Amino acid sequence: MSDIYIICVEDEPQVLDVVIRDLAKLEEVFPIEIAHSADEARQLISEIKEDGNRIGLAICDHIMPGDKGVDLMIEMQKDPFTEHTRKVLLTGQAGLEETIEAVNKAKLNRYISKPWKPQQILEVAVDELTTYVIEHEKELLPFMAVLDQERIQEAIRSKGYV
Amino acid sequence: MESRRPEKPKAERHPNVIGESARPIYDKATFVEKIKEMMPDSELMSRLKQTFPEGEFMLRENQENNKLFVILDGYVSQFKEGDDAHTNIGMQGPGDFIGLLSFQTGEPVFTSAKASTKVTTLALDHDSFEVFLTRYPEISKTLQGLIFSNLAERYRKVVTLHVEVAELTKQLEAEKNHLKKTIKELERTRNALISQEKMATLGELTAGLAHEINNPASALLRSVDYLITTLPDMAQRASALPDTGLVRFFFEMGLKREYADTAEQRVRMKELAKKFPYIQRGKLRTMAEMDHDVLERLKPFAEKAEKEEMLQLLLDSYQSGIFMNGIRLSTARIEYLVKSLKSYSRQSGKEPEVADVREGIRETLQILGNRLKDIKVKIDFPEIPPVTCFVGELNQVWTNLIINACDAMNDVGELYLSCGLSEDKNNVWFKVADNGPGVPDKIKNRIFDSSFTTKTASQDFGLGIGLAITQSIVEKHHGTIEVHDRQGGGAEFVVTLPAER
Repeated sequence: MSDIYIICVEDEPQVLDVVIRDLAKLEEVFPIEIAHSADEARQLISEIKEDGNRIGLAICDHIMPGDKGVDLMIEMQKDPFTEHTRKVLLTGQAGLEETIEAVNKAKLNRYISKPWKPQQILEVAVDELTTYVIEHEKELLPFMAVLDQERIQEAIRSKGYV
Repeated sequence: MESRRPEKPKAERHPNVIGESARPIYDKATFVEKIKEMMPDSELMSRLKQTFPEGEFMLRENQENNKLFVILDGYVSQFKEGDDAHTNIGMQGPGDFIGLLSFQTGEPVFTSAKASTKVTTLALDHDSFEVFLTRYPEISKTLQGLIFSNLAERYRKVVTLHVEVAELTKQLEAEKNHLKKTIKELERTRNALISQEKMATLGELTAGLAHEINNPASALLRSVDYLITTLPDMAQRASALPDTGLVRFFFEMGLKREYADTAEQRVRMKELAKKFPYIQRGKLRTMAEMDHDVLERLKPFAEKAEKEEMLQLLLDSYQSGIFMNGIRLSTARIEYLVKSLKSYSRQSGKEPEVADVREGIRETLQILGNRLKDIKVKIDFPEIPPVTCFVGELNQVWTNLIINACDAMNDVGELYLSCGLSEDKNNVWFKVADNGPGVPDKIKNRIFDSSFTTKTASQDFGLGIGLAITQSIVEKHHGTIEVHDRQGGGAEFVVTLPAER
């Protein structure tokens, strides 16, 4: 059974620290990996692919040295391996045009503006991962503990497994 | 030959100020006619007759003169010879006198006299004047009267001139006040433009600044949230221990943690996961960040599953150190940003201040940090004397130049900032250079024009008058701005400002 990864791309180490901490609860089920730039993220993505695992959620800053977050997300959308990855933009500033681009071209799922509220990232992550597993996993029970139980129960009922 | 009359007599200009004498007691025309009548029969008069061709000087300023010329025909212009310009005094015609003052007083000639047309005169020296008076008593009375009225006319002219000068002075004063007002208004307009452009750039900067401030703000807020929930619990767990030295050690190591390369960290994490398969991933990540020595001290608690509680406490302690350090760094960042912003955008007072311009450039770099993520900034700032300036306005100069450089390089490249003292030590110069495409020669002399811009409306938040404003600010500081090609490619803007002694 392959793992479903969460990747966080953010150039500010202090921000990355708190994002991981906010998501700690999910790590029991979804391994978290980090990257400080789009380039590091590409390397990370190919490593996850080589290991035969998948990426369920990408949380990405926009303004970083090198390629911008939105560019990375558009790239991920074009790659079949990451096409279905749920994509969240976490940023202190992205112009309207860039955000529109992210929504249209990267099928951006969520936008969180910095600074975020306690629980906000976790709630968004839970929500997006719940959508991901319902769409891509046959066996949903293992995710009940950390994800949205109601939605998963409903999905199980409608899929007729129980 | 008919003599032409080049100019109206001056006295007519201000007929209302001092009226012409109501009754010319001694008529010039009659006087001249009379002399002309008598001339053919008078050997004396014929001898005294002297003519001047057009353009010839009759008298030169400051020279000696002992003749009195009575004009019989033609016109004579009188003027003062200045260093570079003549001042016209007036035109004398038939019946007027030339040389009257110097002839009477013996002083040097006061005004030069030049024949404007061919001029015929009666030239009297002192001897012939006496002879003339005794021989022609019937004319001499008229002559004396004419001399008197000539002097009276001169006096009238002087008074008229005084009045004229007073009026002109009044007009000049009014003009001067008007000009002063206009200059003030122009200055206001320029300042308004400067602050308008400043607001426009500030608008552009705000978006970037939001990112710059929101990042540390996020880290700060969330770190505090984390510590609020974990610290009380940690304290309780630690208080149960006989010795808290180890807890303190891991906290301090957390404070000092340095960020590792993420790929390298993944490798270490995988190794740790193999070694300690029963430890959760979250804990392994924290362990992967630790230095070798620190990790060694943790291992005794990682190797045995039953020590898990202690392992958790030490990792929490280490993590708390990390967050504490994060708070410290984030707060310092925000503080520095706010300080920079405050000083960057400070409103200029009426009086300039003596300031280290390098500080302003550094603050500007801080504010523009967002635009400079992919730009290598190379700074060469040796010690230089301060400059008397409006810091906020000069910062606008640096902002415009740096943003222009970023635009030229499409936000990827190298930015060179340097400064120095001119050879004569009177000026300091500041260079803002980039390795972008440079400024084409044909637009070099136009880029400071307010109507010139290479940017399209959508690209630029400003008014497209950035460089014009920049130049205007530099000029206000009695400085200059030039654009050159940078050696090795790119553009180089040089701002020179007077150094404070």
